[in-house]
Order: sequence, then C-alpha cells, then structure tokens
Amino acid sequence: MGTLVFIPAWNEAESVASVIEGVRERLPEADVLVVDDGSTDETAARARAAGARVASLPFNQGLGAALQTGYLYALREGYEFCAHLDADGQHPPAEVARLLEEVRADRADLVIGSRFHEGGEGSAEAEAIGGEDYRATISRRIGISVFRFFLTLATRQRFTDTTSGMRAANRRVMKLFSESYSPDFAEIESLQLAVREGLRVEEAPVRMLERAGGSSFLTPLRSAFFIFKGLIVLLVGQFRPRHPGRAEPAPLPKAGAGR
Amino acid sequence: MTGLLLAAAEQPKVHLTAQTRILAALIAVAFMLMILELIRRDRLQERFSVVWFVAGIGMLAGAIFPGLLGTVADLMGVRDTNVALFSIILLLLLGLALNFSVIMSRQAAQITRLAQERALEKAREEADSAENGGEAERERLER
Repeated sequence: MGTLVFIPAWNEAESVASVIEGVRERLPEADVLVVDDGSTDETAARARAAGARVASLPFNQGLGAALQTGYLYALREGYEFCAHLDADGQHPPAEVARLLEEVRADRADLVIGSRFHEGGEGSAEAEAIGGEDYRATISRRIGISVFRFFLTLATRQRFTDTTSGMRAANRRVMKLFSESYSPDFAEIESLQLAVREGLRVEEAPVRMLERAGGSSFLTPLRSAFFIFKGLIVLLVGQFRPRHPGRAEPAPLPKAGAGR
Repeated sequence: MTGLLLAAAEQPKVHLTAQTRILAALIAVAFMLMILELIRRDRLQERFSVVWFVAGIGMLAGAIFPGLLGTVADLMGVRDTNVALFSIILLLLLGLALNFSVIMSRQAAQITRLAQERALEKAREEADSAENGGEAERERLER
C-alpha cells in the first residue's frame, strides 16, 4: 500500500524544503521523492536535508521528462499510488492528500487538481493556509481556455484545468506514463493519452496559491508558441495508434512491495 | 514568342564547357575524399556516409556524361535542365534534413531515457547506503 509523492524541481532551492515539509506533515505515510531536473543551485542538497529522496537528472530535460522519471520510480519501486505537485509552493499538500483519497478509493485512475472546477470548495485546511488565491495573467488565461476547448473536443470529456501540475495516480497510470509519453508537452498530451487508453481521468477542485518564489517562464510570445505547439501535439495525438494493454502493469509482487 | 521557343528547342539540352565539367569532376572527387577522410578519423560513421557517397558519385557521373542530365530532365518533363537539376538537389536535401530530424528525435528520446535511468539508479544507491547507516556516504553526496 505504498504511496509516493514526487516533486519535480528545477532550481527551486528557495521553496523545495518547505514543500517537502508540508507533504511530510500532511501525508506522513508517503515517501517523498524530489526529481531534480538538472538544477544548478542547491535544490538537491536542500531536498536531502529536508528528508526527501532525490533522483537527479544529469541535465535539465524539461518538466515532462522529470515527471516521467517520477512515474518510472514509482512503478519500479512498487508503489501502489503516487502523486505529484509543483516545487514552487503553489500547491497546498493538503489538497494533494484529497486527490490521493480519490485514487485510493478507486474512483479514478488519474485525478487532476483543478483551480477552476466549479461546485467545489478547497479543503478547510487549504483555506487555513491563507495566502493569495490563484490569479492567472491574461496570456495565461487565453492559453488555458484554448487548451480547455481543444482538449475537451479531443477527449469528449470536460477538463477545466488542463495544465495543472498537481495529480494523483495509480499503477495503471504509472505504467502508461513511464512508457509512452511525450516528454515535450507533459500536461496536455498526458491527459489526452490517458483518456484515449481508456483510463478513468477525473478532476477535483483544489485551491492553489500564488507562487512562493521564482517567476513564471511565460512571456506573451512564448505563450503563443506554447499554445501553437500544444495544438499540434493535440492534433497529432488524435491520430496516434491505440495500444490496448499499455496501461496494464504487471501485478505487484507481494513481498517487499512499496518499500 | 514562338520564335524564342523554337530557338530554345534548337539549342542542345545541356551545354557544359569542358572547363566546367573538369571542375565539377574535381569537386566531386575531392568531396568523396573528404568523406573518406572523415570516416578514417572516426568523425563520421559509415552508416551516415552512404548518402554522401551517392551524392558524390552522382555529381561525378553528371560531369563525365553531360547527356545524363538532359535525359533526366526529359523523364521529368522539364524543358530547362537547370530547373531539373535544382529541383532534384532541393528535394534530396529536404529528404536528408527530414531524415536527420527523425534520427535526432530518436536520439533525444534515448538520451532522456538514459538520463532517467541514471537518476533512478543513483537514487536507488543513495537509498541503499542510507539504509546501511551510511552517514559518511550521505555527507559525501551532500557536498
């Protein structure tokens, strides 16, 4: 019954330790892994000092590859459930715990934490954390609604927060994401892929906070490029062959599972 | 207009001077020697050299038998041999560039997976040494 919470981090030395502490407090039963995506600062050392395991990629490979590393670790080490959240402090660990509950109850294979999902309040604990509520910039909002529209079109399932980096998953998702996943465009293509392979993907409303440290990498021009690239990825994804059984992991070994 | 077309038709299809042909042949030979040298010094792998040798041989053949280009242009239904020549070269280069993109994509995926495997292996080692009470080891890694 092991659970792994992994945190992709690229030069997040400022915030990574507090995120790890938050996760350990809210999810004491879970192991914490920081996937250090070729950081050039103290990220890995601070993560170790905060008591997390660290998997360091030798050079920066992008969020998709870092997330895939986490899924691969969870699959190989025999964890039954895994979740991930951003290292910049936007994601309250209490909300991650709620996502994990959904997966543990087997209501879904993959649960996405959505900032925009209506008809739901964040957990009381997240409210208590305080801080500024999440507010998107204009270019970001345009991107989000474009992706929302096309992803809904592609999957015939309604998604409100397509770029959310807070997710919980079971072993079927670990298997699928660690093998077939475009490391280039993690968030959106992974959703499309999961739905196409017949996994149950659900959204759960969560509260997110303003970034604790660092700044978003998106400038308007980059946003436009990002959106364009995303649309191509989505379009191509619609024509990819399906592989039944790609999301069927080997059964967990009984002894030594979830170490 | 008709007069011009007739005049064009009367001209031989390919008119390369001996000078141009010798120059082209020399360049082709030098090009292939360069490829050979690159392979010899391990700067180029054999499997990527085939296409360049084919290009070199094609160039040499064109220089030695100038009628060849005219025949190819006829087959393509192109009156101007220069147009035929440039379209062939352009298409070949386009195909080659695409081929390299495909190779690059494959290698990028392989590099990513290699880096991931390495990261997991290291994490595994660290976890093992931590279990063995390897405090010294951990301190070494933290530095």
